[in-house]
Amino acid sequence: MEVAGRMDVVNPGTAGLRPTTLGAAPKPDEGQPPAILKLSGIEKRFGGIYALRGVDFELRRGEVHALLGENGAGKSTLMNVIAGVITEYAGSIVLDGREVRFGSPAAAQSAGIAMIFQELDLVPGLSIAENLFMGREPGRLGFVNQTEMRAQGDLLLDQVGLRASSRQLVESLRIGERQLVAIAKALSLRARILVMDEPTAALASSEVARLFGVVRELRAQGVSIVFISHRLEEVPLVADRVTVLRDGEVVGTVDASAPQSTLVQMQVGRLMAEFYPPRSQSTQRADVLRLERFGFSPRLRRSGYQRPIDLTLTVREGEIVGLAGLLGAGRTELLELLYGAGPAGVWSGTMEIDGHFARPRSVDAARRLGIALVTDDRRASGYVPQLSVGRNLVLNYLRNLSRFGFVLRSRERPVVSRVMQQFSIRASSPDAPITSLSGGNQQKVVLGKSLVGSARLLLLDEPTRGVDVGAKAEIYRLLRGLAADGLAVLVTSSEIPELIGLCDRIYVLREGRTVAELPSGVDEDVVLSWAGVRLRERVHPVPGRGPATGSSQSGEEARS
Amino acid sequence: MNQKVSTALDASPGSLRSAAPGSAGDARTSRLRWIQVLRLMVRFQSILGLVIVFVAAVIVSPRVNGQLIFLEPRNLGNIIQDISEYGILAVGMTFVIISGGIDLSVGRALGLATVVIGRLMMVSGWDAIPAVLGTLAVGLIFGMVQGAVLVRFKLQAFIVTLAGMWIAYGLALSLLPNGQFIGITFGNGPNHAPTIFQHLADRFMGVVPVAALIFLGVGLLGLIILNFTRFGRQVYAIGGNERAARLSGIPVARVRIIVFGIAGLMAALAGIVDAGQFNFGNPAEGFGYELWAIACVVIGGTSLFGGRGSMVGTLAGVLMLGCINNILLLCNIDNNVHTIVTGLIVVVAAALQTVVGGFSSSVEADQPTRPAGLEPAQPGQEVPKSV
Repeated sequence: MEVAGRMDVVNPGTAGLRPTTLGAAPKPDEGQPPAILKLSGIEKRFGGIYALRGVDFELRRGEVHALLGENGAGKSTLMNVIAGVITEYAGSIVLDGREVRFGSPAAAQSAGIAMIFQELDLVPGLSIAENLFMGREPGRLGFVNQTEMRAQGDLLLDQVGLRASSRQLVESLRIGERQLVAIAKALSLRARILVMDEPTAALASSEVARLFGVVRELRAQGVSIVFISHRLEEVPLVADRVTVLRDGEVVGTVDASAPQSTLVQMQVGRLMAEFYPPRSQSTQRADVLRLERFGFSPRLRRSGYQRPIDLTLTVREGEIVGLAGLLGAGRTELLELLYGAGPAGVWSGTMEIDGHFARPRSVDAARRLGIALVTDDRRASGYVPQLSVGRNLVLNYLRNLSRFGFVLRSRERPVVSRVMQQFSIRASSPDAPITSLSGGNQQKVVLGKSLVGSARLLLLDEPTRGVDVGAKAEIYRLLRGLAADGLAVLVTSSEIPELIGLCDRIYVLREGRTVAELPSGVDEDVVLSWAGVRLRERVHPVPGRGPATGSSQSGEEARS
Repeated sequence: MNQKVSTALDASPGSLRSAAPGSAGDARTSRLRWIQVLRLMVRFQSILGLVIVFVAAVIVSPRVNGQLIFLEPRNLGNIIQDISEYGILAVGMTFVIISGGIDLSVGRALGLATVVIGRLMMVSGWDAIPAVLGTLAVGLIFGMVQGAVLVRFKLQAFIVTLAGMWIAYGLALSLLPNGQFIGITFGNGPNHAPTIFQHLADRFMGVVPVAALIFLGVGLLGLIILNFTRFGRQVYAIGGNERAARLSGIPVARVRIIVFGIAGLMAALAGIVDAGQFNFGNPAEGFGYELWAIACVVIGGTSLFGGRGSMVGTLAGVLMLGCINNILLLCNIDNNVHTIVTGLIVVVAAALQTVVGGFSSSVEADQPTRPAGLEPAQPGQEVPKSV
C-alpha cells in the first residue's frame, strides 16, 4: 500500500474546477447491467441546513459501489434515505424501474434493502440464531422451534463463512465476526441491496480480508452493495465504482481504479499537500523511554493478563516510533501499562524514563513522569461529551489551575486558548460543546488535553481512527511538530501504511513480544509478515481488473 | 450556571457557509436563532418555571382586605420552610445525580438522623452542638460507606442505596429505646433536650424560618462547590465519562465516596431540621422524601444519566414545587390534586429536555462540514469554523 502513503496532487490546475470533470468517469456503455436502484435529485434539510442537495446516485445490479466523503459529507444521510430511516426528503427513488417511497425501515427491508449499521444492532446477550431471527422466529402458536431456528442459522453462517455455531452468544464473538452475523441477518431477509456503513472501521486486516471475500461472494450472487468507507486504499480492492460526496452534493462517480490522489482531491475539494510531513533529520538524541524484556510477570499472566510478555524498545527525544502488530498482539495493553492504567501487580523487566528506573502504578504517577496517553476510542475514553471544549481540555490539569480547591478562571482561560491555538482546534468558542466538533477537531482536543502540562512521552493508540482524510494530514503534521520540539512519541495503528508514512522507526509486536525493529519507509509486506500474517491471506484486488495500486501489488505477487 | 450557553451553531450562522443561497441561509439563520432561544429556555427551564408559577400564584392568590395572601412575608416564609427538608436532600442528590449515580437511602437516613439526635440529647444527655455534630458525622459516614461499597465491589448505586435504605430504617428502629418514638422535650436536667435546639423551629427576625436559612445556606454552598471548585469539575467529568475521567488522572473512587458522603451528610442535616420542627425521633420520618428530592433535581434540568445539570436548577425546582404546593393550599384545592400536578411537572420537565435537546442535536449531527483545512492555522489568520 505504498500508494496510500504519498498523495501528491497530479495536476494542481484542476483543483478549482468542479470535480465532475475529473478523469476516469464511466462511459455509458451498453454492456453494463441495468440499474437496480436509481436516486435522483434527493434533497434533505435539517432545519435550514442542507444535508443532501440534489443528489443523483445509481446502483447497478451486482456491483459494489463505494461511497466516499469526509465526515458530514452526507453519506450516512443518503443511506438513511435509501434504507427508509429518513422518510421526509425531496426527490425520487426508483427501485427496479418503479418509483418507491419507504415509510419505515421495515418497508425498505421488505423491498429487499438491508442496512448494516456501524453500531451493529445485535443483542449481545442472545444467541446468534436468536439475533438472526429476531421478531420472526420459526415456530407456531408463539412457541419458538429452537431446532429449526438453529439449523437455519447454521446454514446462514455457512453462507457468510463464519465458523461458529448459531447457539453461541453474540457477545462471545469478535467485532469482525459480529459483522458477519449482521450480514447473515441481512441475507436472511432476502436482501438484494446491502448497505454497509464503514464495515471495516473496527476490523483487523485479516478480518477485513475475510469480509471482502464475503462481499465478493455476495456480488457474484447478484447482490448489489453500497460500501461506505473511510479507508481509501480499500476502494480498489472491493469496489467497482466510487461515488464521492462533499458538503451534501455528489462530486462525481468514477471507476474504482481511479488513482487515489484523484479520489482524495474529490473528497477534500482542493489541493492536497504532502500527506505525511517530512521526517526530521534527527541526530543522535537522548532516550526518553527504554523498555527491556518488559512485560507481565508469570504470576500475572496466570491470572489472565496475557500481554505484553517480552518487549524491548527505545523511544528517543524527537522521534515518532511506531508499534505494528495484529489485533491482540498487545499494543493497547502495553500503552495502558506504561500509563499506569494496567492491572496492579508485578511486572518483569525494566522500564526507564529519561534513564531513570520508572514504574508508574497509577495514572497520576505516570502523568508526573511526563507520560501522556491518547486512547483509541475518544468517545468511550477520550473526552466527556457533556462538557465544553475548554473544560475537556483542562480536565487533567485542574490541579495546576486551582488554589484552595477553587478553579481560577483567570488561570484557566489563557491555558485553554493557548492549547486551542497550538493544536488549531476549530471551535466557535471554548464554551462550544465538544460534540459539536468534527471528528478531526475532537481528536485534536483529546490530543491537546493529554499534552497540557509538561509531557515527555506521548502514547498514541490509533490516533486517526474515524478522522477524515484532511484532518488526518493535519494530525500527522501536528505530531511531527511536537516531535520537533523534543517530544517522544510512541504510536500504534492498525493501518500499517500510516505507520510507515509517519514513523521514524517501527517495532513489530507479535503475541506480546517485540519481534522486529524496522526502519522508516519499509515495505508494508515486510511489516505484515513479521506481524504473523501469511501473505496468501491478504486481500487481493478483484480479479479481472487492471492493477490498481501498482507497487504493493507487484511486491505481493513476487512474494507469493 | 457559569457555563455560557453557546454552541457552535450560534457562533457563525452567516459565515459558516457563505456559499449557501441567500434565502436558504436566512431561513436557516432564523431557525438557528429559534433553537438557541429554545435551548436557553430549557437550560433555565426551572427558573422560567419558577417565575411562571410565581406569577400565576400572584394572580390567583386569594385576598384578605385587598392584600394578596400569597405575597405576605409570613406566607413566603412558610413556602420555604415547608420545602426546606426536601431542598436540603435535593442539594446532596444533585451531586450524586450529576456524578452519574442515584441515592435512594436519603429519606430513611433522614429518619435515622432524627432518632440519632433525639437519642443523643434525650437518652445520652449530650449538649446541642455535640449532638448535632455527632448526627452529622453519622450521616456522613453512612453515605461514605455506601460510596465505598459501590466503588469497591463495582455495584450500581441503585442497588447499594436500596440496601442502604433498609439498613438505615432498621438501624433507626433498633436505636429506639423500648421501641417507642423519642419525644423531644426541652428544659434542664436529665431527659430534657437543651432549649437552644428549639430555635430550629423559630423564625429569624420573626419572618425567615431558620430551616429555610439552613436550606438556602447549603444550597449556596453546594452551588459554589459544584461550579467553582476542582472537586465540582471532577463530579461533572465522572458523571459524563468515567473512563475518560480516570485516564485523566481524576481519583474517581475518592470523588464517588465523597459524593455519597455529601448526600448522607445532607440527609442527616435534614433529619436535624426535621427533629427541630416536630420534636420527634421517628424512624418513619422522611419516608419517600428521596423521590421528592430526585423530582426536584430532575425538574431542575439535571440529567439522570449524569454529567449534566446545575445546582441553580435544583434550587429553582425546589422553590417551584413549594410555590405550587402553597398556592394550591391557599386556594383550598384538594391535596391529591397537588400530588397529580407534581407528577405532571416532573414529566413535562423531563420531556422538554429530550424534545428540544433531541431536535437541536439532530441538526448538528448531520450538518455538512467544510473539509478540514490541511494547513495548521497561523496565529492571526482567520480560522475557518467547522462544526
